[in-house]
Amino acid sequence: MALFTSAVYQNEFLPDGGTDVNAIVTIACSGAGAAGQTGSGDAGEIIIVDTSGSMGNANMAAAKQAAMVALDHILDGTYFAVVAGNHKAYLAYPMVQSGAGMVRMDARTRAEARRAIGYFRADGGTAMGNWLNLARALFDSIGHLAQKHAILLTDGENHNETQQQLDLAIRNCVGQFQVDCRGVGVDWKVAEIRKIAQALLGTVDIIPNPSQLGQAFAELMQASMARGVAAADLRVWIPQGAQVLFVRQVSPTVEDLTGRGVGINPLTAAYPTGSWGDEERDYHLQIRLPAKSVGQEQLAARVQLAVGNEVLTQGLVKAKWSSDTNLTAQINPEVAHYTGQTELARAIQEGLQAKATGDERTATTKLGRAAQLAAETGNAEATAKLRKVVDIDDAETGTVRLKRGVAKADEMALDTASTKTTRIRG
Amino acid sequence: MSTEDTPAWPLWATDHDAAGPAAPQEASTLGLAAPCPECGMPVRPDQRYCENCGADVHPDLAFGASGGAASEATVKLNRPRPARRACLECGGEVDADGYCQTCGAKAPSPRDHFEAAPASWLGGVCDRGVVHARNEDAMALWTAAEPDRSAVLVVCDGVSSSQDSDVAAMAAAETARDVLADAVRGLAGSPDGGDTDPGTGPLHRALVEAAARANDAVVAHTAPDSENAASCTFAAAVVVGDRVHWAGLGDSRVYLLTDTAQVQLSTDHSGAEELIRAGVPREQAETGLHAHAITRWLGRDAEDVVPDTGVHPVTGTGWLLVCTDGLWNYASAPGALAEQLLAAGSDGADPVAVASRLVKWANAQGGKDNVTVALARLEANLNGASQAPTAIAAESTDAPGTSVEEKI
Repeated sequence: MALFTSAVYQNEFLPDGGTDVNAIVTIACSGAGAAGQTGSGDAGEIIIVDTSGSMGNANMAAAKQAAMVALDHILDGTYFAVVAGNHKAYLAYPMVQSGAGMVRMDARTRAEARRAIGYFRADGGTAMGNWLNLARALFDSIGHLAQKHAILLTDGENHNETQQQLDLAIRNCVGQFQVDCRGVGVDWKVAEIRKIAQALLGTVDIIPNPSQLGQAFAELMQASMARGVAAADLRVWIPQGAQVLFVRQVSPTVEDLTGRGVGINPLTAAYPTGSWGDEERDYHLQIRLPAKSVGQEQLAARVQLAVGNEVLTQGLVKAKWSSDTNLTAQINPEVAHYTGQTELARAIQEGLQAKATGDERTATTKLGRAAQLAAETGNAEATAKLRKVVDIDDAETGTVRLKRGVAKADEMALDTASTKTTRIRG
Repeated sequence: MSTEDTPAWPLWATDHDAAGPAAPQEASTLGLAAPCPECGMPVRPDQRYCENCGADVHPDLAFGASGGAASEATVKLNRPRPARRACLECGGEVDADGYCQTCGAKAPSPRDHFEAAPASWLGGVCDRGVVHARNEDAMALWTAAEPDRSAVLVVCDGVSSSQDSDVAAMAAAETARDVLADAVRGLAGSPDGGDTDPGTGPLHRALVEAAARANDAVVAHTAPDSENAASCTFAAAVVVGDRVHWAGLGDSRVYLLTDTAQVQLSTDHSGAEELIRAGVPREQAETGLHAHAITRWLGRDAEDVVPDTGVHPVTGTGWLLVCTDGLWNYASAPGALAEQLLAAGSDGADPVAVASRLVKWANAQGGKDNVTVALARLEANLNGASQAPTAIAAESTDAPGTSVEEKI
């Protein structure tokens, strides 16, 4: 069984009348084992490949090769399926019309799946909602899968269905399975794909060059297979009369979980965190409490990681009211760091959006603030990616100039990486 | 989370079950930080309570560890640890992590807040208060088996400017309690408690002996290299038949508050008392700068540990109150205290409930010090006061204010 540990970073001292408590809770998992192998239940993997006409020969060939590489990294015994997507969704493998839409991986099914992928041909439009709906039906056809994960590869915009159709499909898949999304080339929309990945607890990234697809798919599948904890919830207990202002994952990426809580009891909400491998994740909580008098101490939150109904670790977020301003004025370094990183992600996204709509003034201000925050919080990756989009005159003051003739891929790379954070420790 | 049982919390401390709480001797000689058996956080070897959750790290040790065999009527604190604890703030259930499951209030550690109720008519509460970081007050109670209404009440207030006073005060109170309980048992059979000459009789001698032994206990709990030796006050009362025998040293007090008498039996050994002797009005003296500087105490640096003693008849129905300055700071005069007792629902109620309300009241006034309230319900006919009251003057065996040293 995987071992979870937690640590809380906060300044627990509040001034007289203070109500808002901030804390960073780090949750670490070790001994996770391999997906589907730890007795927690079977794992299922679905590879979804865009086979729309826009893929063309080069992208299609690279995508086929990448899908085959992914097959190689699915552990034997894991249920799997391959979906080809354009304006419709096709079950490419296993070749069945009804019944179970997934089969267990072994040497024979792997070879058959490779052959099926070999027949992929670029043709038609793009309707990702259909792809997701098929994936959900395939997972459901097995019924007893504990861990469900898909890789989705696309190259273009979702032209062949409405925004509402895609949103409905995403909504129906929330909590059903996780999706890591990858976009090849520069003709897809980051915001559209990020919406899928965020709702379905996955990642989003750009693969500018089709030759990098195989490597990317191998890494994605390896990571998924190393997540031996099928599904875990972050549980947050708050005292009666208190309020959760926000709950965010802040490392490895920024994800706002606030609206995703499911009530366990009147004082406890569970926020789905998907599957876990051997890794650490940081969460930022802000809790509002009724103020107590100076000298009193109370618990502001119990932050727990639960698998099913079993609570595996708990961190305590505290509040102590004090009249000592030396204590109450301090901002915890971890809280400050991640507050900056969250603002950084927002500044990058808003800056790029303003740039896309031609609002250069806002774009310059936002990306300047981003450059400042990236420098302050030591986010070297963000700084490097920002440098490809703006000339940084002075990082300390956030003075930047928009570059002319920026490569689209560089902008998209900055956008997809905007939510990636650096850690203050290690 | 299951609330049915106390879980082995937290679950990540995988080795704590196997290791168990380390023996304190072992921990201190090796300097190891044994994990708290409740929450798994590291605990310094010299700590009795977990800094994180307030759990008793060495529950195998009785308070004080002074060795005296406690009587069967003694309430053993925190052993076994009750499965459910009620939140003092909202009445909700306290979680194993030490906080209320409903309102999040921090449950005090067993040292920061404890209650004792040896009988339905005898009980008390010892509480950290609001301002002080730890509870250095101590309380120890004893009663004989029913229907005998003999009782022993001992309260000690650890001097906060000295080291380890919390441990020393508890050892002192328990040691004195045991000495006095033995003395009362020795009187059994004699209708008037065998104490024919209250000023010099066996209970007077027992009170002096109790203070001396309590002093030994304080010294025993003082680190040899301590530069600020542990010290505490001493206030004791013994109820036998229709008399209250009392002793005092420092500024913890014994009051008799009945429908026929409202008197403060003990006299403080304090800066304030010296001012009162010099003619300063009580109210002014007790709120002055050095009012709380005590002039006599128990401890390694005490010059004289013979307490003031006295005897007083019980002629009415009411309460015997032994308390620390954490209470009388907010109501010093016997009449004022009697009023607070009444406000706390003292008419016939359970002494722990009354004491709890008095502690809450003191905390609501600011709780500037630790608060201890020990109460015995006295009823003239039950306590044997059927004959006419014998007038016995409270007698001080030692004039206060002879020491030039002061403790604050």
